[in-house]
Amino acid sequence: MAERNIVSRKPSAIENRGTDDDPFITMQRRMNRLFDDFMALLPGLLPYEDMGASFTPRVDVEEDEKEVRVTAELPGMDAKDINISIHRDVLTLGGEKSSEHTEKKGQYQRIERSYGSFERQIPLSVEVDGEKAAAEYRNGVLTITLPKPAGEAAKTRRIEVKGA
Amino acid sequence: MDKDTSLDTRKQETTLAEGERTRASRAYLPRTDIYETSEEILLTADIPGADESRVDITLEKNILTINARVDAGWFENRRLTYQEYGLGDFQRSFALSGEIDREKIEAVVRNGVLTLHLPKTPAAKSRKVAVKAG
Repeated sequence: MAERNIVSRKPSAIENRGTDDDPFITMQRRMNRLFDDFMALLPGLLPYEDMGASFTPRVDVEEDEKEVRVTAELPGMDAKDINISIHRDVLTLGGEKSSEHTEKKGQYQRIERSYGSFERQIPLSVEVDGEKAAAEYRNGVLTITLPKPAGEAAKTRRIEVKGA
Repeated sequence: MDKDTSLDTRKQETTLAEGERTRASRAYLPRTDIYETSEEILLTADIPGADESRVDITLEKNILTINARVDAGWFENRRLTYQEYGLGDFQRSFALSGEIDREKIEAVVRNGVLTLHLPKTPAAKSRKVAVKAG
C-alpha cells in the first residue's frame, strides 16, 4: 500500500482517493488530517515567522496566454522605495516602508499597520521576458506585468490521445 | 513577545456584527494606526486600491465610519495562479469621544493610505489641570 507516510505533504492526493470501506486507509487519512491541521496552525504560533521582516506584502498572481501579472498591496510607500528584479522565473520584490511619525510629539494609541524592510521571492510558472516587464504603483497597489516570451504559446502543444 | 495582531499580515474580514453589506463584495477591516498629540488625534488606515473619490467618511453622533470602495474590475477575466490576499472594500467604525472638533476634521488619501486629522476642541486642550507637588 502506497499511503504510508504519516505526515502527508499533499493531503488532497489521499483525500480524493476512493476506498472508503478500508478501515486502515480511513484511519491513515484521519491521522494525516490531524497532522495537517496541526501544521496549518504552526505559522501562527511561531514568533519568528515575521520577525526578520516585520512587513511581508501579500501578492496575487494571475496569468493569461500572453503575460503574468503580479499584484501586491503596499499601502503608504513611495514608488522609488520599491525594488523589483527578475531572474529567470523568479521575481524578487523588496523595499522599505518607514514610519510616518519619527518625532516624539505624541504617542501611539494603536498600532496595526506594519513598517520595515521586506524582501520576498515569487516563483513564476514560466520564464518571463524581463526586458519587457513593466511595473506600476497606484493607490498603494503595485502591479507588475511580465510578458511571456514569444513562442511560449507555440511551445504548448496539444497531444491527442489515441484510442486502441 | 507580544501576541500582536500586526504580526499577522492577513487581511481581516468584517463580521456581521458590523452590519450586513448592501454590496455583494467582501469587506475588510483596514489596518489602522492611531496617534495622539495634545492638538489632535491622527488616524491612519491602509486602504490599498482605493483613491480619494472612493472613500466615504461619515460621522453620525459619535460614530466615525470609514468606507473605501475597491473596484475589482481591473482584475479582468484572467486565471488566478495563486492568491494571498482577497479583494474587497474596506470598512470600519470608531467611536469618538466628545472632545473632537467636528468642523475641522480633515482627510487625505495618498498611495492607498487614508490619513484623518481629528483636531481636539479648544476646551479639550485647555482642560488639562496642572498638578502641584504637595
